[in-house]
Amino acid sequence: MNLALRTPVRDPAELDRVVDRACARIAPTWPLDRFIAVNPLWGFVDEPLPQVSARLASLAGSRFVMPRSWYREQWEAGRFGPAHLREAIAQTGARCSEEDLVALLVSPDVASPRRALVTDVLDARRDTVHGMAWCDFVAHSLSQFCAAHFDEGQSKLGPDRTGGLFPSWRRMAEQDWSPVLLMGFQGYRAAVRRLPSNARALIHFALENLEVPEAEHESYLTSLLLRMNGWASWCAYRRWQARLAGGTDDQIVDLLALRLAWEWLLLIGIPDPETAPRWRAAISAWPALDHSAEASLALDWVLQRALEIAYQEELCRGLAKGLRAGAPIGSAGARPRSAEAASNDAQTRPAQAPSVQAAFCIDVRSEVFRRALEGASPGVETLGFAGFFGLPIEYQPLGSPEARPQLPGLLAPALRATDRAADAGLAERRGGRIDFARGWKQLRSTSISGFSFVEALGLLFAGDLIGNSLGWTRPVPHPERGGLGRAEQAGRKPRLATTVAGAEIDAEARADLAAGILRAMSLTRDYARIVALFGHGSDTVNNPHSAGLDCGACCGQTGEVNARALAALLNDSDLRSRLAARGLAIPETTHFVAGLHHTTDDAISLYDLDEVPASHRDDIEALRQALREAGRRARAERARALGLASLPEAERDRAIRARTSIWSETRPEWGLAGNAAFIVAPRERSRHLDLGGRSFLHEYRWEQDEGFGVLELIMTAPMIVTHWINFQYYASTVDNGRYGSGNKVLHNVVGGHLGVFEGNGGDLRIGLPLQSLHDGRRWVHTPLRISVFIDAPRPAIDAIIEKHALVRQLIENEWIFLFQIDAEGGGVQARRRNGWFPA
Amino acid sequence: MPAHALDPDFFLGLALLAIPLAYGLAAMMPLGPVRDPVSTAWRRAARAAASGFVLALVAAGAVAVRGAGIFRIFGFGAGRGGADALPALRLDLRLDDVGAVMLVLVAFIGLVILQFSRRYLDGDPGQVRYVRWFLATLATVSLLVLANHLVLVWLAWLGTSIALHQLLTFYDDRAPALIAAHKKFITSRLADACLLGAIALVAGSFGSADLDVVFARLDSDPRIADAPGVQVAALLFAAAAALKCAQLPFHGWLLQVMEAPTPVSALLHAGVVNLGGFLMIRLAPLIVEVEAAQLLLVVVGSLTAAIASLVMTTRVSIKVALAWSTCAQMGFMLLECGLGAWSLALLHLVAHSLYKAHAFLSSGSAVDVWRLQQQAPPVAKSGLGAWIGAGLVCLVGVAGFARVVLGEPLAAPASFALAGVVAVALTPLVVRALRGALANRLRWLAAALVLAAAYFGWHAVFEHLVALPSGASAMLGLRVAIVVLVFGLTFAVHVAMEVRPNGRIARTLYGPLFAGLYLDELFTRLTFRVWPARRVEAPPPPQTLTLESPFAGDRS
Repeated sequence: MNLALRTPVRDPAELDRVVDRACARIAPTWPLDRFIAVNPLWGFVDEPLPQVSARLASLAGSRFVMPRSWYREQWEAGRFGPAHLREAIAQTGARCSEEDLVALLVSPDVASPRRALVTDVLDARRDTVHGMAWCDFVAHSLSQFCAAHFDEGQSKLGPDRTGGLFPSWRRMAEQDWSPVLLMGFQGYRAAVRRLPSNARALIHFALENLEVPEAEHESYLTSLLLRMNGWASWCAYRRWQARLAGGTDDQIVDLLALRLAWEWLLLIGIPDPETAPRWRAAISAWPALDHSAEASLALDWVLQRALEIAYQEELCRGLAKGLRAGAPIGSAGARPRSAEAASNDAQTRPAQAPSVQAAFCIDVRSEVFRRALEGASPGVETLGFAGFFGLPIEYQPLGSPEARPQLPGLLAPALRATDRAADAGLAERRGGRIDFARGWKQLRSTSISGFSFVEALGLLFAGDLIGNSLGWTRPVPHPERGGLGRAEQAGRKPRLATTVAGAEIDAEARADLAAGILRAMSLTRDYARIVALFGHGSDTVNNPHSAGLDCGACCGQTGEVNARALAALLNDSDLRSRLAARGLAIPETTHFVAGLHHTTDDAISLYDLDEVPASHRDDIEALRQALREAGRRARAERARALGLASLPEAERDRAIRARTSIWSETRPEWGLAGNAAFIVAPRERSRHLDLGGRSFLHEYRWEQDEGFGVLELIMTAPMIVTHWINFQYYASTVDNGRYGSGNKVLHNVVGGHLGVFEGNGGDLRIGLPLQSLHDGRRWVHTPLRISVFIDAPRPAIDAIIEKHALVRQLIENEWIFLFQIDAEGGGVQARRRNGWFPA
Repeated sequence: MPAHALDPDFFLGLALLAIPLAYGLAAMMPLGPVRDPVSTAWRRAARAAASGFVLALVAAGAVAVRGAGIFRIFGFGAGRGGADALPALRLDLRLDDVGAVMLVLVAFIGLVILQFSRRYLDGDPGQVRYVRWFLATLATVSLLVLANHLVLVWLAWLGTSIALHQLLTFYDDRAPALIAAHKKFITSRLADACLLGAIALVAGSFGSADLDVVFARLDSDPRIADAPGVQVAALLFAAAAALKCAQLPFHGWLLQVMEAPTPVSALLHAGVVNLGGFLMIRLAPLIVEVEAAQLLLVVVGSLTAAIASLVMTTRVSIKVALAWSTCAQMGFMLLECGLGAWSLALLHLVAHSLYKAHAFLSSGSAVDVWRLQQQAPPVAKSGLGAWIGAGLVCLVGVAGFARVVLGEPLAAPASFALAGVVAVALTPLVVRALRGALANRLRWLAAALVLAAAYFGWHAVFEHLVALPSGASAMLGLRVAIVVLVFGLTFAVHVAMEVRPNGRIARTLYGPLFAGLYLDELFTRLTFRVWPARRVEAPPPPQTLTLESPFAGDRS
């Protein structure tokens, strides 16, 4: 068998660009310990979603709209109606009538077939009852190898990783008998030895010899990557991280070469005269498949659009109502109360300066709690800001040699926070304890100690089984609290320490940082006596995806470190005097306090209370009361979605609290399910609305934003992040098989923290588990593309759209729907491709 | 029967029978027109599991008070023992110390895992089916433990296998689930055939398949074991145990059944796969008389223990690594049986069950473990000298310990060989105690001492707790030598990999170990060829199905 049949004619540099374009289609996936949300189609946002959806249907068999039966349910439940269909037809310019769409609701789904690869061509002729399918074998073999190569904590012994994924695979494949033994592929090892030794060279040769037409190269390569989307996403993450650090990582190209090598080996290596002509026929069928995919879903997209219009319409109406009720906001000192709010004392915005300003993360879960807190205590003013509180930090836990990022995945950390412990030797002691715990834990999984370990200590696990079942003990120590006693834990204080390189941060730099953050929060005057900064975190046990419920803006950690470090910074008197020089006069009577919103049970922790001046003790006590009451209200609201609403309060609270400590809980909380909107405005624009925990909220006062620098920041960072979250939920719902991680009860953690398999093996699974989206009877998450509402002048918004190509793509290709809250005009305007329209 | 009516044993017998009945009835009872069938099913299951546990405790208490016994539930026809024994229709239950330990274990594991499953599977459309087959598995396992007649053992085991098969294929649209379960099906039927052959030979040789009769005969006339029929029977029993315990090369299915929900894996690994070991312990009086059977157990068990534990270190996912660990641990349990270390084998069975049930149920915590471990300072590699030194220290120390606890080495060579395994196991701890800060070094040393003390302590407790025949035969030396050789080699390979993770030995061994020595590839291919699994129908458009059955999983 001769592998190098034909020498490539295509210019290698040009083909390299094609390869890079195909690889750029794959979005990164973060590991489980930093499980932040990503739009898995981030590489496709340069085209409108319906078009991308058609392409992915043809390339990978994905589907990005819900089944028609689901739209029918929404229709019957009154979530959208004929008017929305008409509006959707008008907006999309679809060539169809309202009746066509109604008829669509009751017609069966059509699935258009995906493009065949060589593995599919072979399987079509293979007796897959009496032998394994090639698709399955190749997927399994590649996935297992990738896991072995990238493993960072499960296996003790791994392959020779020198040179990266492709060389590593070649060395293994040359010695691998399983294709011979399991699949009867004689000559596999000899063929592998003759493969080009360089990934890009292999791609060039293989494309040429597979006779893929030049125009199809990019699509073909993309479809190969999508067949291993999980591992491709992992490679994309490695590349993303390398680039943030100023380097690069080319292993995604290796992965592509590896999958392509299989195509080539199978086409040439399996002696069957039928294969080559069938493969040529398959290639010639590709364009037709593309067309049928495009045609088959066009109308479904109008249904999806109509549903989104229905949601937007209601929200626009609600926001407009608030505008009409009150006059436009003038100076901050004279904020009018809306007539509607005034009628309800619990929701009244205080005319005098608030007693507490409480900042929460923009997260949709904060909306529920903020509304509850405002209702419980009219003197509290709440505001929303990204939960890392603008601190571009990494955090080095006590005794740890490594630091981890505590900021959005889009950014690289610049500063470092560490724990200031009361006791200098504690770091070393904690390191020693964790080291011992690690060695002890690993004892059971070595080839020589496991047997005696079981005989000596196995019986003690009866106690663990009982304790864990009753929720008394955790199956393993808490990753943050482990290695510390209760008192030691309390004495630990995370504070801003140095730059990432370990250099001192001088006082001026600190002041600049603090000033920037306060301005970005629109918190520049009228400081209350207590300014509370609340990070958030989830409490869940035995849950591989727990980081996905923590703060995405803190890279999948809780926001505790950021909130505490910032509060301490802002309480510094020297810093305050420097802030005053920058026009930010924080009165001496203002104290910043840090806290954490526990999203699973809506409890709140307050930190560093030993540093609260005696003059503010009563204020803190009052705040504590208000928070407790707010937690009660928030739990009552969340109990509905958890199916606990019918229980009496004490029992309900117990049931919710149990979710934080029971090891068999697969739905501790609903996280960000339901998210659909992002409101960038002063709180008074939305305070009169019950947003149902579906909206991200960012405080923003354009009058204070000179040059619209803050707006630009919001539209290029938090807006992107909310879109990532929103589309992760969207994609995990519509195509859980590829962009979600499937059934939690089958999850099997890979490589210590890389991700999960669903069951034995298969591809690495990315995205959200079904249990985060579906309660067993219905989808709890409704897939809607995010609607962003900004309270700022239209020209300012347009200027930013003009300046940032990416933002323009997201809006004009309708990955995001953008609206302006027009206080002057008393309404809401929608931004479409061709300008602004009244919404 | 009326004669028994006031006999406390009669009531104890009924209590024993009530254990499988409680599970079985709850498994089979129709739910009727209830408002919420799912909750009703779980509630009933919880009651059955709780009653099963209480009754198992009662049984254990009874053994402690009155000793072992045979309990006749009913019997027609001739009495036990004669040539006419087989056609007689009767049901005897057997309760002894081993059985009591097993009963409590199974009932406890069942209770915990069922409790876990209830919340874990919330929302799954198949919950009622799950509950039924889960309880059916517990019913058949507990019946197996209680059975006195070998045919009843056989039937109960067959039932266990069938019930478990339903749980393993709980998501029956997952092709890998079907293939793995199918491989298990084939292995189990092979084991069933071995078992049936063995039972026939026993009945032929002893004139009865009642365990108490067989043991009584063996006790009164040990030479009966020399008969070829008995020899072959013991060998077949051992082979059945090896098959049921997923020993190499029939291990593939055990590693691939992660396609079922986590608690099913926990149940399989903690409550079912070890039944092979239980059978050996149960049949100890027979097995100790047959050298070939013991040799088979030692060879298969020690090779599986060594190979599977090395393969485990190359696995990339938590559950599959745990499965290889089970495979190895079962090997170790069987080799203990083969060495006649019966009480240690029973200790191993019970301790492993509890450990592995916990390991599976807590496998979702792998990321938490990883997160914490990342916060520890890196460990400096120790050199070859440190390993050899630490190994010698452990050998001498453990030998001294064993001399005190176990007595004269030559009187109990098997126990000393197994103590050698402990010495090897302690070495990594002592290696760590050779360097670093004093406080940390003391901690590692203390850990080694605690581990050794716990090992010998439990050993003594189980020796005391259960009375089992001690095997001493002419060929024991050979079996001990095999174990010493295999574990010596494993230790050498382990040290080589620790000292030189990128050295030649590690590099050469990695490929074959990662491939599991290709043992399963051949078995799988043969399965596909000869007796293929039912194929999953071509999937309808995925989204329609996803909505109706969201837990169907990946169909791409």
